[in-house]
Amino acid sequence: MSIAVDPITVSVIQHRLRAIVEEMGEAMLRTSYSQILNSSRDFSTALCDPEGRLIAQAEHVPIHVGALPFAARAVHDFFKGTIQPGDVYLLNDPYRGGNHLPDLTAFVPVFDGDRLAFWSINRSHQSDIGGATHGAYNASATEIFQEGLRVPPLKLYDRGVRREDVYEMIVLNVRHPRDFRGDLAAMIGSARIGERRLTQLLQEFGSETAHAAVEAVLDGAERQVRAIISEWKDGVYEGEAFLDDDGHKFTDIHIRARITKRGSDLEVDLTDSHPQVVGFINSSFANTHSAVVVALAYLIDPDTPKNDGAFRPLHVKLKEGTVVWPRPGAPVTLCTNHCGQEIIEAIIRALAPACPERAMAGWGRRFRIAVQGVDPRTSRPFIWHLFQARPGGGGSSAGDGWPGAGEWQAAGGIKFGSLEVHEVRFPLFFRRHEFRPDSGGDGRYRGGPGGELELVIETTQPAVANTAGDGVTYGACGLLGGADGKPHSYWLESEGRFDRLLKTKETGVTLHPGDVIHAHSGGGGGWGAPSERATEARAHDVDVGFVSR
Amino acid sequence: MYRIGIDVGGTFTDMVAVDGAGRVTIAKAASTPEDQSLGVMDGLERLAAALSLDRATLLAETAIIVHGTTVATNALLEHKGAKVGLLTTEGHRDIIEMREGLKDDRYNLRQPPPVQLVPRQRRLGVRERMRADGRTEIPLDRASLDSALAALARDGVEAVAICYLHAWCNVEHERETMAAVRAALPGVYVCRSSEVLPQIKEYDRICTTVVNAYVGPVLERYLTRLATRLTDAGFSGPVLIIQSHGGVSTIPEAVRLSAGSVLSGPAGGVAGSQYAARIVGHGDLIPFDMGGTSTDISLVVGGEAAIASDRRLAGQRVALQSMDIASIGAGGGSIARIDAGGVLHVGPESAGARPGPACYGRGGTEPTVTDANLVLGFLDAESFLGGQARLDRAAAEAAVDSTASALAIDRMVAAEGIHRIINTRMAEGIRLVSVRRGVDPRRFAILSFGGAAGLHVTDVARQLDVRRVIVPRLAAVLSAWGMLASDLRCEIARTHIGDASSLDPDALRAAYRDMEAEGRARLAEAAHGGPIHVRRSADMRYGEQIFEVNVPLDGLDFESPDLVQQMAVAFHARHEALYTYALRDQEAVLVNARVTAVGELPSLPQEGNLASGRPAAPRGHRRIYLGGWRDVPIYAFGELAPGQAIDGPAVVESGTTTVLLRAGDRATTTPVGWLDIDVAALR
Repeated sequence: MSIAVDPITVSVIQHRLRAIVEEMGEAMLRTSYSQILNSSRDFSTALCDPEGRLIAQAEHVPIHVGALPFAARAVHDFFKGTIQPGDVYLLNDPYRGGNHLPDLTAFVPVFDGDRLAFWSINRSHQSDIGGATHGAYNASATEIFQEGLRVPPLKLYDRGVRREDVYEMIVLNVRHPRDFRGDLAAMIGSARIGERRLTQLLQEFGSETAHAAVEAVLDGAERQVRAIISEWKDGVYEGEAFLDDDGHKFTDIHIRARITKRGSDLEVDLTDSHPQVVGFINSSFANTHSAVVVALAYLIDPDTPKNDGAFRPLHVKLKEGTVVWPRPGAPVTLCTNHCGQEIIEAIIRALAPACPERAMAGWGRRFRIAVQGVDPRTSRPFIWHLFQARPGGGGSSAGDGWPGAGEWQAAGGIKFGSLEVHEVRFPLFFRRHEFRPDSGGDGRYRGGPGGELELVIETTQPAVANTAGDGVTYGACGLLGGADGKPHSYWLESEGRFDRLLKTKETGVTLHPGDVIHAHSGGGGGWGAPSERATEARAHDVDVGFVSR
Repeated sequence: MYRIGIDVGGTFTDMVAVDGAGRVTIAKAASTPEDQSLGVMDGLERLAAALSLDRATLLAETAIIVHGTTVATNALLEHKGAKVGLLTTEGHRDIIEMREGLKDDRYNLRQPPPVQLVPRQRRLGVRERMRADGRTEIPLDRASLDSALAALARDGVEAVAICYLHAWCNVEHERETMAAVRAALPGVYVCRSSEVLPQIKEYDRICTTVVNAYVGPVLERYLTRLATRLTDAGFSGPVLIIQSHGGVSTIPEAVRLSAGSVLSGPAGGVAGSQYAARIVGHGDLIPFDMGGTSTDISLVVGGEAAIASDRRLAGQRVALQSMDIASIGAGGGSIARIDAGGVLHVGPESAGARPGPACYGRGGTEPTVTDANLVLGFLDAESFLGGQARLDRAAAEAAVDSTASALAIDRMVAAEGIHRIINTRMAEGIRLVSVRRGVDPRRFAILSFGGAAGLHVTDVARQLDVRRVIVPRLAAVLSAWGMLASDLRCEIARTHIGDASSLDPDALRAAYRDMEAEGRARLAEAAHGGPIHVRRSADMRYGEQIFEVNVPLDGLDFESPDLVQQMAVAFHARHEALYTYALRDQEAVLVNARVTAVGELPSLPQEGNLASGRPAAPRGHRRIYLGGWRDVPIYAFGELAPGQAIDGPAVVESGTTTVLLRAGDRATTTPVGWLDIDVAALR
C-alpha cells in the first residue's frame, strides 16, 4: 500500500517528529501553573496515529509512554466517525488507557484533508483530581471511587468550541480549580502546537510521502531494537521482585516475570504475579504495559526512538485479577511508582544474565509525605509535598550509581527545588540534608547513596501528614552478585513521646509543633560481585564518606 | 588612535583594528591553547604588519584593547581549574552534588555519575545557620571554622568558595568567614556567594560561587601575564574583557567575578550581532554562527540580545546574567552515520580540527558535512580559505560513498542527504530557541557568520519560512569587531522577596538606590569618566510558579507612592506578552531586584560606504549539484558593488566564507558591502 520513500526523507522526517514533541514539551513547561508540572515536570507529550500506534514521544516521564496508545485507541473507538477538526478530547480512567487518575490526558486530532491522520497528545499529572484526600494519593482507598474523579473518553471541545457544561463539571470536582484551569489550558495549547506542526509537515512533504516515511521510521526503530535483542542468548529467563505491603492486609507482594527470548522477540509473561490486592498498589492494564516498555527502553540504546516500532518485539501476557491487571474498581493511584517499579525490576532481573552489560541494578523506591497545616506567619493553610531525600541510582557496567538520582520509573526526572525557597514559603526548617552513608549496595560498581533529611515542623497548631510509598522492607535490588541498597527508614521525633517509625501507607498522622521528620532514603543496588571492586574505588568511597569505613 | 578587538577561538585568534575614520583592518594568527597570550602577541605582530607598522608603534597608537577569551571556558570544560575548597553550612554540604534531584538524559541509565569540581572531602560544613528572615539561628562557631580552615590548609587548596544558607538575606557569617580565610590562607583566591550571586536559591548560588573559585585563579594568571606582555610591548591603555553578558569589564573586575567570563568567547559574537543590527537598521536578528564543531544561535530583539540567567556549562549551573546562546553540537566537521535501523544522522560526533573532514587529507575517512559540500560542488577544492588550503575531492567522494553504499543510494543523493539533514537540525535548533520564548522566527532576519554558515543559511531560512538573511562582509571576524562596540557594564542583583500587597515601597526604593550606588562605584573603580546609564528591572512570578520573568522597570515613576502596583501592572503585561496570558486577579511576587549600570564608551566610528561602481562580473563558473548538475556563476564577495543584485543559483566566495544562493534567492549588496538576501519561499 505504501510508496517507497528515499532514506533521506525518512531521516529528515524522523528528526522533525522528535523536534515537534520536544517543542510541545517546552511550551508545557513554560506555561503550566502547578509546581508538579513546571518544576517537577511530571508530564509527557506524544504523537499517535489513528490506530493508537505511538509515532514519537518526548523524553519526559518514561512510565507514561507505553500507556498512551491504549488511551488513544479508547478515545478513537468511542468517538469513531464523529471526530472533527478543532475537537479536543480528555481521558484519565486507568481502566481505559490511563496510568492513574491524576494523569489527565488531552488529545487533539490532526487532519490530513478530511481524513484523521494523527493524535497530538499531552498527559499531565494534576496536582489534585478530587477524591477523598488532597493530591490524589489515598493510602486508605479500597476502591477507585475514593481516589478521585474518573474521566472516560470525553469531548471537551466540539469543532473549536468548548463545551462549558462539561468543563465546569470537571473543574467543580477538583480542589484547586484556578490551577486546574491554567494547567488544562497549557495542556491543550501544547497539543495544538503539535497539531500545527504536523499539518505543516503534511503540507511540506505531501500526504503520501509523509505517511510512508512514518512507516519507515517505525520500521527503522524496530530493526534497531531487534538487532540488539538478537545478540542475547535464546532462553527462558525468570525474575522476581517484592513490594513491602499494600497498606491493608497483604505483605511481601510478588511480581513474577517469565521471559522467553527467541531470536529477536521477547515474550514477557507476568501471569504468575500476586493476586490483586486491597490497596492502591494495583497496576492498571495500561500502566503494566507501560512498565514493561520502560524496562525494555532502559535495556536498549538510549538514543533509540521510543515508538511503536521499537516495542514490536515485545509480547506481554497478563491475567485479569492479578496485581498487574486488577478487575475494574480496584484502587491504583500508587502504581506509576509501585508496583510499576517492581514490574521493571522483575524484568531487568530476569534479563540480566542475557545482557549483563546492559542491565543496571535497582534504583531506589519512592516514599512520599504530604503535610497539611496552617502557617503561623500568615495564618494561611498550606499543603507541602516531600521531594527531598532522593534515593540513590543503581550501579551498572558503566560505573557507580548516581547519588540521590531518584526512583527507577523517573530516572532523575524529578526536581526538589530550593530549601531556602521552601523555608520562605512554608513553616518548615531543614536542619540537615545530606547523602546517607553506607546506603548504596556494595558491588563491583556501588549503588548511589540515598539522602538523609531532618525536617522540623514549625507550626503552632498540629499538622497532618499522609504517606505513600514502599521500600522499608525491600531495598533496591543488587544485580549479578551486587548487594541490595539499604531500604528506607523514616521516623517521627516528638518531644515527650517515643520515636515513631513511619509506615509507607498511612493517612492522618498527627505532627505536633516542633516535631522532626527523619527521612533516610534507600540507596541504589550494586552491580557485580563486591570482590571485584577496585581497591582505589574503595579508598575513594571512604575519602568522600559514602562508605563510613 | 586605534582600537583593537581580539577574539581567541579554538583554532584561530582573530584581530580587528579600527582607526579614527572607522577603517577596519583584520589579521588572523593560530591560537596557542597552552598560553593564549602568545597567540595574541603573534596576532598583534601580524595586525601591525597589515597596517605597515611595527608592533610597538601600533600599540603606542592604540587607545583601548577589548578581548574575548576562552581561558575560563576551557578550564571548566577540560576540568583544568584550581583546587577548590568549599565552606558551607553544616549539614548541607551535598547541595552541589544533589543537583536539585535532576539527571539529564533520561533513558541513559548506564552512565557514570558526574565528576565533582569540589570533591566531597573538600566540602566542609561550618557550624552556623541563618533563618529565611535574616535572623541568626546558630551563631558562627569559630572553633568549627578554624578546624575547617586547618583542613583546607593541609590539603593545599588554591581557592576557597564560601556559601552559607540564606546568605542572600544576611551576609554577616560569610563576611566574617572571608576575613578568616584571608588571614589563615594568604595568597589563596577566595570568594563568597553573597558577592558572586546575592540571590535566593542555594543550588544556583553555590554552583556559581564554586565555578567562580574554580576558574578564578586560572583567569587571574592568564590576564596578569597578558597585561604584562602588553605593557612590555609598549601598550599603556586599558585592556577590557568581554563578559558573558556582552558588556566589558576591567581586568581586576573580570578576575573578581570570573564566573562572568565563562561565555566570553561566544558573547563577542552576540555583541557583534547587536552592532550589526545597528548597521543594517534591522533590530530583530537571529545570529547564526556555524563553525566546525558547534553552532551558536541566539536572538537579538529590537537591537538587544536576549539575556538569560539559567545557563549551564559543562554540567555546571552559572546563574549570572549571560547572553542567551544555544549551542548545537553540529557544524561543518560533523560526521554522518547510519544507525542500526538504517536512519541517517549527522553529528554529534565531529572530526574536529584533527583529523578533520576527509577532504582535508589529514587521515579522516568518515563523511562530514564539509565533504558532502565539496562533493556537491558548493566548495571549491582549489580556492578553500582563499587558496591557503587545497581540498582532496577524491577523499571526500570516497567518504560520501560509504554512506551511499550503506543506504544503497547514489553518491549525489547521499551528499545532498547529509546537507539536508544538517540543515534540518539547524532549523529545529532555531525553532526551539525562538519558540521557547514565544517568539515567531518568521519576523526575523538571520545573521549569518562563522566559516560554515553561508552554505546552509538560505536553506535553513527557507525551512523556517524566514525571508531575509544578512551576511556581513567581515562575517568571519564579526566577534572581534563587534566587541569593540561594547560598553562597560556591571550587573547588580539582590533578592528582595515579597508579594505586591506586602512590599514596602520605601524599602524597595532604598534597595534600588543602594544597588545603583554600587554600580556607579564599580564603574568609578574602572576609572570610567564618561556617561553612565542605569537600567532597573525585577524578576517576578505568580505565587506558585517557579520560573521568574524579568520585567524592565525603566518607564516607571520610582518616587510614586504606588510604585509596587506599577510593578505588578508591568509584570502582568510582560507575562502576557511572553506566554499569551496574564492572571491579573493573582498576586505578583517580586524575587530579585536588578540594576544594570552601563558606562558608555566613545562610540565606534563606522566604516564608510563603499565607492559606487559598475556591477562586478562573475569570476568564473562552476558545476554544482542542485538536484542535478548546474553551471552557476561564482562571484568574489569583495568585488561586489553597492546595490548590485545577484540572482541564484550562484555562489559568492571570499577568503573566509562561501555563500550559496539557490534558484529564486536574490542577494543585494548593501552600501557597506554586505549581502542582504531575499530568500525564495519553499516551493
